[in-house]
Amino acid sequence: MSQQEPLEVKGLRKQINRGKNSLAKQFHLVRKSRMKLWQNALYILIGVVVALAIGAAILTSLDISAIDYYSDMFTIGLVGNAYPERAIENFLVSYVPLLITSLALALSFKMRFWNIGGEGQFLIGALTSAVIAIKFPGLNPYLMLLLMSVVAMLCSGVTGLAIARLKTKYNTNETLATLMINYIALYVVTFFGETKADWNFFLRTDSERPKFTSFTKMPFVEIGDFHLQISVLVTLLIATGIWFYLRYTKQGYEISVIGDSRRTATYAGMNVKRITLRTMFTSAALIGLAGAFTASSSGCISTNITNNVGWTGIIVAWLSKLSIPGIVLSSFLITILQFGCRSASSLYPSIDSHFADLLQGLILFAVLAADFFANYKVVRIMSAGEKQEEQHEDKKEVES
Amino acid sequence: MRSILKKMLGVALAASLCLGAVACKKKDSKSDFKVGAIYINSQNDTSGYTYAHHKGITTAMEAAGLSVKDDLIIVDNVPEDDEAVRAAIDTLAGKGCKIIFGISFGYINAMDAAAKDYPDIIFSHGTGYLSNDTNFNNYFGRIYQARYLAGIAAGYKSLELGNNNIGYVSAYGTEYAETCSGINAFTLGCLSVNKDATVHVYELNTWGDIEKERQAAQILIDTYGCCVIAQHCDSAQPQLVAAEKGFFGCGYNSDMAVDAPSAHLTAPVWNWNVYYQLAIETARDDAKNFMSKVGNYYGGLKENFVDISPLTENVPAPAATAIATARELMVKGEWDVFSGVALSFDASGNMTKSDVALVTNDGTEIVAAGGASVEDGVITGSMNYFVAGVIQEQ
Repeated sequence: MSQQEPLEVKGLRKQINRGKNSLAKQFHLVRKSRMKLWQNALYILIGVVVALAIGAAILTSLDISAIDYYSDMFTIGLVGNAYPERAIENFLVSYVPLLITSLALALSFKMRFWNIGGEGQFLIGALTSAVIAIKFPGLNPYLMLLLMSVVAMLCSGVTGLAIARLKTKYNTNETLATLMINYIALYVVTFFGETKADWNFFLRTDSERPKFTSFTKMPFVEIGDFHLQISVLVTLLIATGIWFYLRYTKQGYEISVIGDSRRTATYAGMNVKRITLRTMFTSAALIGLAGAFTASSSGCISTNITNNVGWTGIIVAWLSKLSIPGIVLSSFLITILQFGCRSASSLYPSIDSHFADLLQGLILFAVLAADFFANYKVVRIMSAGEKQEEQHEDKKEVES
Repeated sequence: MRSILKKMLGVALAASLCLGAVACKKKDSKSDFKVGAIYINSQNDTSGYTYAHHKGITTAMEAAGLSVKDDLIIVDNVPEDDEAVRAAIDTLAGKGCKIIFGISFGYINAMDAAAKDYPDIIFSHGTGYLSNDTNFNNYFGRIYQARYLAGIAAGYKSLELGNNNIGYVSAYGTEYAETCSGINAFTLGCLSVNKDATVHVYELNTWGDIEKERQAAQILIDTYGCCVIAQHCDSAQPQLVAAEKGFFGCGYNSDMAVDAPSAHLTAPVWNWNVYYQLAIETARDDAKNFMSKVGNYYGGLKENFVDISPLTENVPAPAATAIATARELMVKGEWDVFSGVALSFDASGNMTKSDVALVTNDGTEIVAAGGASVEDGVITGSMNYFVAGVIQEQ
């Protein structure tokens, strides 16, 4: 091919290549010396402020007071709310599944097992737990929640186990396998949701159009007007448990060794296959539990039940650098962002939820960029000639 | 480096102070009466289902003397998921809404449950079938009446063209009473003018798929030789296809003469604002008697809740007279579409009434000759047959 190219083109290509090389030679990404936590946080704060400023410019152009908008957003609509306890309940209801899913994903990510099947595992958990709730409506609510959780964890965990088994036995790509399960699970739920038939106990019987039936909701603790769902307490226990597991147990240590190097783990006599299977089962089972909790707290299932936690959880896990307290915090902040954006956008008829999504995207992007620049710097590497010149100048300065 | 950090710290501090100050400021509300709405799509859509409802609500609010900017609170893009709908309802209730409209069918469970938890708020559910005695109703309309009128226009067009094949692109067929009653009413309208007409129905099995809607219209014209294409689907694609091929059509939901001026005859349309104004004004002025005054709303031509868009120049002249006659009968309540009395119109639009049984396309008699109209519950809930004259192609 290159022989047929006219000479000028050849010359141009050479120039371009040279340009590329020189550019790559000139600029390098260099990891900064370890940042202190508050320095990192400062970078992120600045990123958020920049994103909010862009959002404010858009709001102002729509003739909406950015101050009013942001005040409603950051208070998740609590100020001037006639039912603030409901807002907090709903906040917790979206926080719980995101937190559990992010924790579970972090477990497998620590092992460098790329479980991106959170959505699918969540749906499997929700669907199977709904079977229990619909088939045994008379059960004691606590017993029902327990049964729903166990069934969801088993079914979802087995799916994870199967994928891990494929990986350990045939070295299949777990990213693809977990991703594909997402769509299979979604369409299975859609199938049950849209097929009107006598056997389909998932649907309401009194409805002309197909609609998922309702079932008993999760029990809650009453604190005045506020209803604290059991799942919130269980989730906090789980978060503590995982933190302890990763930090203080032998199994947790094994996970991090495999994450660092599979060969080292094998050399140290660890059964890598066994640990992979065990960890992936736990990860998928926990996500299934999040699905059961969501089904139980809404008393119904739907194809939208995941609220995208399988995807958002990945962002949360990475933003927190797989640290468990970090995940607890950042999933809290992201839920505030999601919840607050939605609450604020409802007040203005000219603003729809697409703006809320845009603002969320801006902020997340800014946070990721800020995190990047907090840890890396772009360094220009000088050519030999430039270096000499600079040294020369330095000398001059010293002399003077 | 240190000075840069200091500057950054300053900026960050100033920003957080601003945010802190902001958080303390309360929003002042201008009116006590707030309207809440839960949409399946965005209020900034420029066509389609949510657009039609949003236009209805804003028109109604202006007519009722409320400010859309200050008094309308919307949670949009709410999926048909009980938890998402519940969160939307809680948001709207928290912001002080006195009436909450949910426009999509799948909101039914959540609205039913919320009506019990918020007894002081009125819940109004479009296309649903649940209600209670105090604060939860549903609303829908006799769009079949408008479809009958559109059928008359299509019937005259088919006579003029000398082609008895009429096409109908429908989201669903007998699975839903809503689509089924629409097809039947349109067919009876066609037959009242052209006794030999056949309505070829092409089902899409989805409520919104632009590509399928387009293909269905092409097949109806190319394979079945249809000269008029009616539709029960969201986009104007069937009308555009009819225009491209030099044929005609009846749109739906909005006056699709805008989209396909050379093809369009008339479209059955909803005047959602008629209901919304009634509901909003009643909820504001006499909330206690909402259920006795408004109740489960099922408006028709009489209430001007449904209608057809203005007849275009493509419609043969006698159709206007025939449509006016049929409309008057329905407005006065003297006659309705699914009864044992059939109307027939001659070439100049004169009407004759005769007792004819309502029969399905497999020969089953639904209403005996001269019998009364089927009940509303059948039209909204259990109609699952096609009348004689309909052929289901797909």
